[in-house]
Amino acid sequence: METRYDHGGDEFVYVEIDAAMSLPAHFTSLAITRQLAAEAIDGVEEICPSNASYMVRVDPDRIHPRDLVRELQRIESEVGAGDDDFTVETRIVDVPIMLNDPWTHEVLMRFRDRHQDPTGTDLDYGARINGYDSTDAFVDALASSPYLVTMMGFVPGLPWCFQLVPRERQVEVPKYVRPRTETPERAFGFGGAFAVIYPVKGAGGYQLFGSAPAPIFDAAMEQPDFAEQDSVVFFRHGDVINFRRVDEAGYDEVREQVADKQWRYRTAPVEFSPRRFLDDPDGTNAAMLEGLYS
Amino acid sequence: MGHTIAARTPGVFYRRPSPDADPYVADGATVAEGDVIGLIEVMKTFREVKADAAGTIARWHVDNEDEVSIGQELVEIDP
Amino acid sequence: MSILVHDPGLETTVQDTGRFGHYAIGFPPSGALDSFAYHVGNALVGNAPGAAALEAVYLGPTLEFTADTVIAVTGADIPATLDGEVIPLWESVAVRAGQTLAFGQLAGGARPYVAVAGGIDVPEVYGSRSTYTLVGMGGFAGRGLAAGDELALGDDAVAPRAGRRVPDDAVPVHPEVAELRLLVGLHSYRLTPDSLERFTDTAWKVTPDANRVGYRYRGAELEFVPREQPFGAGSDPANVTDCGYPVGSVQVPGGVEPIVLLQDAVTGGGYATLGTVVSVDRDRLAQTKTGDRTRFVPVDLDEALAIRHDRTAQLERLRSDLS
Repeated sequence: METRYDHGGDEFVYVEIDAAMSLPAHFTSLAITRQLAAEAIDGVEEICPSNASYMVRVDPDRIHPRDLVRELQRIESEVGAGDDDFTVETRIVDVPIMLNDPWTHEVLMRFRDRHQDPTGTDLDYGARINGYDSTDAFVDALASSPYLVTMMGFVPGLPWCFQLVPRERQVEVPKYVRPRTETPERAFGFGGAFAVIYPVKGAGGYQLFGSAPAPIFDAAMEQPDFAEQDSVVFFRHGDVINFRRVDEAGYDEVREQVADKQWRYRTAPVEFSPRRFLDDPDGTNAAMLEGLYS
Repeated sequence: MGHTIAARTPGVFYRRPSPDADPYVADGATVAEGDVIGLIEVMKTFREVKADAAGTIARWHVDNEDEVSIGQELVEIDP
Repeated sequence: MSILVHDPGLETTVQDTGRFGHYAIGFPPSGALDSFAYHVGNALVGNAPGAAALEAVYLGPTLEFTADTVIAVTGADIPATLDGEVIPLWESVAVRAGQTLAFGQLAGGARPYVAVAGGIDVPEVYGSRSTYTLVGMGGFAGRGLAAGDELALGDDAVAPRAGRRVPDDAVPVHPEVAELRLLVGLHSYRLTPDSLERFTDTAWKVTPDANRVGYRYRGAELEFVPREQPFGAGSDPANVTDCGYPVGSVQVPGGVEPIVLLQDAVTGGGYATLGTVVSVDRDRLAQTKTGDRTRFVPVDLDEALAIRHDRTAQLERLRSDLS
C-alpha cells in the first residue's frame, strides 16, 4: 500500500492510506491524525479520520495546501502504524442490538425490488454469500467479537464499525443495488466491511440486519450520557463497541429506560494498542470484554 | 381572451394528487380562484399549483409529469 | 424588534457562515449556499460578517417588520417590494415598522438573501445559527420558516443606513449555462478517460432533485474502469472504501446522475468522487435552478487558490467601500 495525497478543491486535503480496508491501514490513519491534532498546525481547521484514509479541512489563507501535504508526509514518516508504543486512550461500549427484528424486517421486505436477492432477507443473503451454513451461524459471527469505530459521519453520530477479527473472519456484503428511500431510526446495517447504526431515519443502502434500542443521537441531550458528554452524538472515533444480542423483551426493557430518560450505556476505559491487537486479536478482545462486563 | 396559469417554481408538474387518483381538475371543468389544479415537485417537496383566476379549463400547455420552468404556461382558463 | 412571517415561500431558512469543527462526527457546515450574496448583504446593512440572514429559494418569503430597520436583498434576480413598491436589489433599504417585504417571479438565479440590520437572532447551536433541517438543529426551531413564525432581530449593527449600493460591475450575473470550476481528482481514476472527458464536455441539466444537500444532474452516462473491488468497498464499481467527502465534491452513483454535494450534505460515504468544485463556485451553483445547464471546467490547484484569493480581495474591497 502506498499513501495517496490529493486535494478536494481548495479547502480539503484527502489522504488515502490504502484503497482497501484493513486494520493496519486504519491504524496508520489513526496514528497520523492523532499526531496531526497534537501538533495544532496553523490553518488545519478540521481533521476527519476515516476507515483507510483521512481528510483535513484547510484554510488556504493560512497554510498552502501543498505545504500541508508536506507536513502530513513528514508525520507519516515519523509515526509507524506498527510502533509498539502507539496506543489510544479510548473506551469499550456495550451496545444492545436485536438482530432479525420486526421493524427493519418490515422495511427491508418493502424494498426487495432494490435488493440483490429479492427472495430472502438481508440476513439470509449475508449468510449465504459469506459462506455460512445458517443465518444463525452468521448472526453468531456478527456478534462474536467487538468492533472498532473507524469512521464517524454520513449524518451526525453515525459510527462505521469494523470488526476486530483477522481478515479471514471478516464479513463483507454489497450495498443495495439501489438505495432504499427509507431506513428506520437506529437500524443496524452492514455494507462493504462495515457495520453501522443509523442515528436518524432516512435513505440508506446498507443491508438491514437488526435494530438498536438505545439512541446514538439525541438532539435535546435528554439522556444522561449525552448530557454528561455535552454532545448530541454518543460515539467517538476510536470507540470499541461490543454488540450484545438482546431479544424483544431485552429490547423493550431498554426502550422503557429511554422513555424514562434513564438510559445509560455501560462503558469501560481501554488503552488500545494496535500492535498488541494485531499480535493477539482474540486475547486482546477477551481482555477488553472482561474489563467491560466484570 | 383566456387567462393562463404559469409555474412559479421549476420542477415536475403533476395533474393528480397521486398516480392512481383522478386529476385535480378535468378538462372543461370549472375552477374558482384558489382551487388546486396540480402539483409541482421540486427539492423533494410537492407544492400545490392554484388557479389565480376563476373560469373553465380550456387548454393544457403541459402534460402530466412534464418538467416545467419558472414562468412556463401550464393551462389556459376561459372566463 | 422582530420579523413576522406571513408566507415562508418554498423553503426559507436562517443561515450564517456555517457550523465548523464538527465535520468529523458527521455535521456538515450548513450556512449560506451563496456565500458572496450573504456576506455582501450583511455588509450593506452594517452587520458584522457572521450575522445570520435569510436564504430563500425560487419563491421569496412574505415578511412584515415590527420596527424601523434597514434591510438588503441580494443574490437572485427577483423583484422585491415593500408594501407593493419595488425596491432595489444589492442596496440597503429603509423599512418602517409595519411594512411588508414580498417577492415576485424569479427572473434569474435561484436564491434571494434577506439581510436585516442586527441579524436574525436565533440561538447558536454548536457555534452557528445556520439551519440544518435533516436533524432539526440550528436556525429557527431547526426547520424552515413557517407562516406565523416571529423572528427576533439583533441590535448590534454598526450605523445601518439606507442607500449603500453595490456597484453594478460587482453584481454577479446569472448566465444561461453556469460554469463551475472543478479540481479533478480524489477517485477520478475510477472513471474511464473517455468518461472523464465526457463529464467536462457535457452541458449537464439540473434535475428537480437539487437542494441544499446537493444538486443532481442529467446529461450523459459515465463508465467506471472495471476492477476487482478492494476489500471493504462493496461490489458496485461506483463504490470505494467509505471515506470523507469534501464539500463540493462530485460523485456519480450508478454512472448516470452526477451529484455535487453542498453545505447540508452527508460528510462521508462509499461513492467514488471524481473531483471537487472550487469553494467560490458553490456561489454560482447556488444560483442555478432545476432545468438550468451547467458545465464543469477543470482547473488546477493554483488556479483554484487564485480564484479564492481574488474573491477574498473583492469582498474585502466591497466591505471597506460599503462601511
